[in-house]
Amino acid sequence: MTTIFEGPPALQAAGRLDYPERRRLRSLARRVGGAPGVVGLLLLLVLVLLALGAPVVATHSPVAVNPLAVLQSPHGGALLGTDELGRDVFSRVIYGLRTSLAVAFGSVALAVLVGLPVGLLAGYIGGVVDMVLMRSVDLLLAFPALLLAIVIVAILGAGEAVTILAVGIIFVPIIARVVRSAVLVVRGHSYVKGARARGASHLRIMATHVVPNILPPAVVQASVLTGFAMLIEASLAFLGLGVQPPTPDLGSMLAEGGGYATQAPWIELAAGVFLALAILAFNLTGRGLQRGLGVRDEVIQ
Amino acid sequence: MTRPAVEAPPIVELSHASVAFANEGATTSAVHDVSFSVREGEIFGIVGESGCGKSTLAQMLMGLLPGTAKVSGSLRYKGEELLGQSAEEWRRLRGNRMSLISQDPRAALDAVTPIGHQVAETIRAHRKVSRREARALAIAALADTGIGRAEERYGDPPHRFSGGMCQRVVIAAALANQPDLLIADEPTTALDVTIQAQILALLRGLRERSNMTVILITHDMGVIAQMCDRVGVMYAGELVEVANVQEIFTRPGHPYTEALFGAIPSARRHGQPLQTIPGQVPDLSKPLAGCRFKDRCRYRIEQCDQPPALAEISPSQAAACWKRGSFRSGGDRRD
Amino acid sequence: MTSPAGDDRAVLRVEHVSKQFGRPGLLGRAGRVVHAVNDVSFSVGRAEVVAIVGETGSGKSTLGNCVSGLLRPTAGQVWFGSEDVAQDRQGRRSQLRRKIQPVFQDPRGSLDPRWPVERTISEPLDACRIGTPRERREKVASLMERVGLPSFVARRRPDQLSGGQQQRVAIAAALALDPELLVADEPVSALDVSVQAQILNLFESLRADLGLAILFISHDLSVVQHLSDRVLVMYAGRVVESGPVEQVFDHPVHPYTKALLDAIPAADPSDRRVPVPLKGEIAAAGSVGAGCVFAARCPEAVTACTTTVPPETDFAPGHRASCLVAAAARSESASSPTEERLTP
Repeated sequence: MTTIFEGPPALQAAGRLDYPERRRLRSLARRVGGAPGVVGLLLLLVLVLLALGAPVVATHSPVAVNPLAVLQSPHGGALLGTDELGRDVFSRVIYGLRTSLAVAFGSVALAVLVGLPVGLLAGYIGGVVDMVLMRSVDLLLAFPALLLAIVIVAILGAGEAVTILAVGIIFVPIIARVVRSAVLVVRGHSYVKGARARGASHLRIMATHVVPNILPPAVVQASVLTGFAMLIEASLAFLGLGVQPPTPDLGSMLAEGGGYATQAPWIELAAGVFLALAILAFNLTGRGLQRGLGVRDEVIQ
Repeated sequence: MTRPAVEAPPIVELSHASVAFANEGATTSAVHDVSFSVREGEIFGIVGESGCGKSTLAQMLMGLLPGTAKVSGSLRYKGEELLGQSAEEWRRLRGNRMSLISQDPRAALDAVTPIGHQVAETIRAHRKVSRREARALAIAALADTGIGRAEERYGDPPHRFSGGMCQRVVIAAALANQPDLLIADEPTTALDVTIQAQILALLRGLRERSNMTVILITHDMGVIAQMCDRVGVMYAGELVEVANVQEIFTRPGHPYTEALFGAIPSARRHGQPLQTIPGQVPDLSKPLAGCRFKDRCRYRIEQCDQPPALAEISPSQAAACWKRGSFRSGGDRRD
Repeated sequence: MTSPAGDDRAVLRVEHVSKQFGRPGLLGRAGRVVHAVNDVSFSVGRAEVVAIVGETGSGKSTLGNCVSGLLRPTAGQVWFGSEDVAQDRQGRRSQLRRKIQPVFQDPRGSLDPRWPVERTISEPLDACRIGTPRERREKVASLMERVGLPSFVARRRPDQLSGGQQQRVAIAAALALDPELLVADEPVSALDVSVQAQILNLFESLRADLGLAILFISHDLSVVQHLSDRVLVMYAGRVVESGPVEQVFDHPVHPYTKALLDAIPAADPSDRRVPVPLKGEIAAAGSVGAGCVFAARCPEAVTACTTTVPPETDFAPGHRASCLVAAAARSESASSPTEERLTP
């Protein structure tokens, strides 16, 4: 009789040493799109944890002014040195990250809150409703994003809340469009027609069929947008139109730090690096999710 | 209908050809150890269901497989080995000495270029002719495929034409340089029945006029019966039977071929259950042992765990089955 | 207009149904109206399989959608029992609508890709709030058995199923509300021959065991010949010929039916015929002018065909066709004792 590993292929496969935990991790990794997705998610996780744990992680208060310790280069007491007002750069960067992330998440959440129902109704109901909803939403697209944000801030005044509102508004049409196209695709499928024939109400169809199937592109789009949100927020802050001092913010730090580029490059550098890392994290996660969830490139704007 | 002389030389000789795709760690064996030859001037049919590898085979014959495909074996065209030749050499052959037409005519045509130009492009890619000559040749090719008022419609874009007309344009472009070999991959599947009849008549007429060799790939047994001289049956990436068309229909040598014909609905079997094949096509990404049809075959014996090679039943018929030709309880299959 | 089983036994009676798309001209501008379905009448009896055949633009799918309630006809009535489906205002909620269930062509698109099989089959019961959860589970299990699905696929998603299995799931879902009529639009066209055979056998068993009536829309005449009792041949929105399937296929009357049958490649290499191909392209529904819709391509057309819409005439019991030339030929060979009624 031959060895235990001969026989039908299925038996052979069963004989192969295969740790179930490894398999589950691998399938999870595939879900988030392989290496880039995993890296992105981990990076994001690290950054979010840092931001959430700011009170614990930061070595000093981000706003404590110390005229005796102005523009110090990194040393034991101040990991990333101090800025022109003697504030600890490391702590400011951590808190700044927190602010930036909050604004980014907040604005995208707002955009989804408004954009998803708009896209859903426009795509599902169609006709006049579609036209009215999408035209109104497209109006916003007519303006370059940053310009629109500046206008809103100019009208409502600068600050964290207004920034969230401004960036959120910019993103509403993008979310609405992506959702709407996804809804149109789903609506064309026979299972929606079948569900109608089998007694499902429109509401039920929307809730049980349409929304679950449009979530992948919506999620991917949202994660990509979050990266952009950080960028826009930082730009606004850089221009002095976003979050106001003394609230620490990566964008404003870039602006302030710019003036001291030769004397104290660590300010600019620290803020810039963290900002770049965050945007990278969102991008990687977004693209990774796209691959993992199987969303086609053309769908994402 | 002209049949090629028995001594007609083979124009295509495929030997132990295999195509495999590597995908996320698993290797899919799409085509496995396929060998057959096609004589000049004959219409050779390849029939099989989805996943049998016939389209991959067509791509391989035209050198259109993606770079990720692992190809092995030998493909001889008029005595010359084609596998392993450079992209430039393939390009010189395609559209010139050998042409491919596929299932969806609209996908094969450029939606924004006028049809006439698309045909003329093919001509000028392979022949040194002036624009005016190319145009004249293109108009003639279009007219040959039955497109009326070809000169007037030369500048029309594809969307002005129906599916059947688009397929004629594709055929015109494919045959413009009078190739020796035409590979038709499900050329009429997407067309309505009456249009299909027109296209098939067209192909037959063209073949008769120019003694062109045709490899016709389809899942439609009726098309096979009406068009082909010899037939190869594919299952799960392998060639399980080769025979001339009469034999395939009346005395199939492989249980899969027999089952396939048993499944065709017809008026004579009104109301009676059709023969079905239990089980499913095996997963080609997993290693396969023995005959690939064994799990679904009603005549299975122990020997089937060893892969059967394609072996002769008669000078004109061969099957890859240990019980080839002798699995039926009695004589010829009559429906 | 009687079904072979008699009018009172007809499960479905379609009367003079028409469906137009597009808008008529406004303010003097020429409108674009497509008569996708033009004045179609027929009936389907219990446990009867009636096939509608035609090529692209024939209107067969539109007609099917009108019957199953996915579209509202522009004119005519669709009688199911004593109620008109076309006028049904209650929509999906009505008991009536549930008795007519559609089965679609693409098995994959018929199933929500995120739902496991048992949820898809259970959906009609959930949506109509039928039975307790336990009763629903039992019903799902019995439906799966009915369509030949092994119980272990219950938790699987569509992408883990073969085409044939997917179609079975779709059929099981269609059966969940105990319909009396299935409207199957090209249900096997996307399937391989061997899988197609399984599904056709399934339809046959549903008809035999449940007395289910089936309206079978297809372009594949051999499938139709195998499964159906009666057939309607459509071209450009109109029914050109109808009758018992053997009758129509063995003795076609209408030139289009003849051309259609001629064009099917016979699966018999010893019977190689070269069909005379029809000239021209298939007319899109509604694009044809006055007179017979087929006149422009018909090899037997006469002048009258381009001006008069041919009325339906009887050629044999239950076998009717709309063709002036055929009707005239028949009345010329008037040695047969059967009367010829010209039905308006």
